[in-house]
Amino acid sequence: MAYVATRGGERAIEQSQRLFKAEMGEITPERVAEIRAAMPYLIDRVMGEASLYDEDLAALALAQTGGELYEAVLLLRAWRTTQPRIAVAEPVTQEGLFTHRRISATFKDIPGGQVLGPTMDYAHRILATEVLDGEVHRPDPVEPAARPSPARQPSVAEWQAENGLLTAAVPDTTVGNDIPDVTREPLLFPAKRAHTLQSLARAETGGVLALGYAAQRGYGQAHPTVNELRLAEAEIVVTHPRGTQFSAGRVKVSQAEVVDKKGDGLRLGFAATLGWNEVKVIAAATLDLNAEGAPKGAPTEEEFFLYHTEGVESSGFCIHFKLPHYVTFQSSLDAMRDAKAQKAATEKSPEPAE
Amino acid sequence: MSLHPVPSDFEARCNATFDAVMWALARPGVMRDLPQAGLAQVVDALIDRECAVHCPDEALAMLARRTGAELVGPEAADHVFAETVTPEMPDRLACGSDLHPEDGATLVAGAVFGTGQRLRLTGPGVDVEVIVTIGGLPGDFWQRRAGAMRYPMGFEMLLVDGARLIGVPRSTVVEVL
Amino acid sequence: MTLQTLTKPWEPMSYGFLDGSAKREIRRKMIKAIAVPGCQMPYASREVPMARGWGTGGLQVSLTLVNPAMRVKVIDQGADDSVNAASIRRFIARVAGTPTTMDTLEADLIQSRHRIPEEVLREDQVLVLQVPNPEPLRPVQPNMSIARQMHADADYGRMWLQLYEQIVRSGRVMQGASYPSLVHGRHVMTPSPIPRWDVPKLHMAKHLTILSAGREKRIFAVPPYTRVEPLVFSDVPYKVEDHADLTCHRSGTRGFFMNEIPQDDGTLVFEVSDSAWGVKAIRRRDGEEVALGETWYKNGKMPS
Repeated sequence: MAYVATRGGERAIEQSQRLFKAEMGEITPERVAEIRAAMPYLIDRVMGEASLYDEDLAALALAQTGGELYEAVLLLRAWRTTQPRIAVAEPVTQEGLFTHRRISATFKDIPGGQVLGPTMDYAHRILATEVLDGEVHRPDPVEPAARPSPARQPSVAEWQAENGLLTAAVPDTTVGNDIPDVTREPLLFPAKRAHTLQSLARAETGGVLALGYAAQRGYGQAHPTVNELRLAEAEIVVTHPRGTQFSAGRVKVSQAEVVDKKGDGLRLGFAATLGWNEVKVIAAATLDLNAEGAPKGAPTEEEFFLYHTEGVESSGFCIHFKLPHYVTFQSSLDAMRDAKAQKAATEKSPEPAE
Repeated sequence: MSLHPVPSDFEARCNATFDAVMWALARPGVMRDLPQAGLAQVVDALIDRECAVHCPDEALAMLARRTGAELVGPEAADHVFAETVTPEMPDRLACGSDLHPEDGATLVAGAVFGTGQRLRLTGPGVDVEVIVTIGGLPGDFWQRRAGAMRYPMGFEMLLVDGARLIGVPRSTVVEVL
Repeated sequence: MTLQTLTKPWEPMSYGFLDGSAKREIRRKMIKAIAVPGCQMPYASREVPMARGWGTGGLQVSLTLVNPAMRVKVIDQGADDSVNAASIRRFIARVAGTPTTMDTLEADLIQSRHRIPEEVLREDQVLVLQVPNPEPLRPVQPNMSIARQMHADADYGRMWLQLYEQIVRSGRVMQGASYPSLVHGRHVMTPSPIPRWDVPKLHMAKHLTILSAGREKRIFAVPPYTRVEPLVFSDVPYKVEDHADLTCHRSGTRGFFMNEIPQDDGTLVFEVSDSAWGVKAIRRRDGEEVALGETWYKNGKMPS
């Protein structure tokens, strides 16, 4: 006789996975293609959190996990970690971005102009229930502007720096493999600037929002104004072993700069991520803006927000509490019972007076 | 995704090398066998582009460079590979800091076992004490080592004689008999 | 130099899942962890195909150490058959082609969550403990950077104060599992959430213990023959769980760490937590020839 049905454990695992998958049915190339086409913002969010830009793989991860976002991101990250690094792309600059949307809240108009681009900001949020009644919802075609906005736009912060409103950031000249990579080395504090920005770029959207919102509501020292928000495409320029530089394609990126007054100037918070995800970059830039000088243990302190917005780590730890903990529980129970017994014993027989 | 649970020869060799290295440091003074002779084994198992390596020997330096590691002076190195240890080396190696003891270097060096100074090792990994005879190091090496380190700061040593390996981590107290 | 010298043959997956660079980094950090017993060494902690908090730290160490000749045992809460242990064991066997075992005596490498087996581990065995929280100071200092400075200064005053307050309030140290322990007289370490019963097994042990926290990205170690002393006051001795006189209702074995199982009628029964030990005891009782190893505890007591 077996002490416990060992095979049972493995069979249970197998069957539980089958149950999970049974509800989703077949995963077909068509399904993956449909997810990719129908949910670009979800794909973007997942790619950003996974630090892996591949729309097909992101769509596949969503299909495979039934849209369980944390699982989808974990799946992509676990895949990413096994991939070789062939090249490190050239840095992208704001001026070089192929810009779809670019707005600033600091000025009515900005050099280069406000470009509304694709957004639901001013839409009335009404469900198109007619679709459920059998009608097809066809978006109205876009009417091109008489004069297209320029594809490339100058940086607002640069204009502010030129006009003495803020101190321009010192350009980091580190290139290639020398750029610290938070997926290949531990995050230590005070964090390297690259590690901070990389961590925010791959942070979980909801987590960044929760802490960024806390800072915006008043648990931070700085009140953000959106200096510049951009949705753009960035050219991935790599160097061929022969030495020629070429574009390997374009990736969607979002970036936000938020400002607050500091003394007689402005200070800047920055965040960027793969894919288009406005909420995330604004919230993340708010945290970056608030990080300097934040007290230890505050939600705006770098260590606090970088640890607690790491989606794969936080979700994994949260669900790990489902694992059996009966050994630790037993150990605590033993200490509790003993303390109780000791207390009862002392109460029964008080120390005799000397 | 198909699976490939068979290690390549390189993988198997690095795995065996690290097994020897790990146990050498876990049991200071107890001799271990490397899969093949030479310091190069340790380069293969440990070194890549994330490392800063000091390597006075040309051939080993070439090998280290090919892994993508940066070649640096002894003070800036996280790994030092030396067929022959020079007298001033203990004073020049990185010992890390109290905050980051992990920044202390690993010195992989040639030595001769069975001749030379008789040493008594004590500390973690040593069952009471172990006596070893190690030659091929500068005469006052062990005194200088002791002077250079303040635990938990210090450096690790992997001494290689052919395909044999002895480890001396910073936690080991070495007494010359 | 040719292109071929710069590349390696294509493989669908690296042996043992982790690629060479991940393994080398873990090796380098393991060296430092062994060299400074009980000191937490930061490491990159790559993502693995398992959720954080589910043994990814232990798994990365195991995957770095395994080879096809290494026999692996995986336990969770002392049991080889718990679903998570089964899942990890299956994964290691799948990606590294390793033989597996449930018998502590047969294992070369034991990955465990929350327990150390009851049979004495040998000089050639490695115990890999999964660690959820590597920082023993967290209850008194949740900030990692400050806690690191406290370790650097060997500033354990607040830790002692906390233990003292518990004694004043409750008459005893209330720490259940994860009992903070001083390693090699220098670094306070969490032994991972093993019960107090198991902590003395680390003291001057013959085997090598590697503790790895994947989510928190810290690795630390207890080499063989290293002092591991639970933090206690000289007049309030260390107390393990009161399990010395409990008997396993299934195997009849006695004097080991037990799981307490509440019954429908309001009573309790106990079963031995080390499932492989329990299995062997049952098989021996049923007349099979089974090798039982020497145990750390003898008649429910740890010989000092």
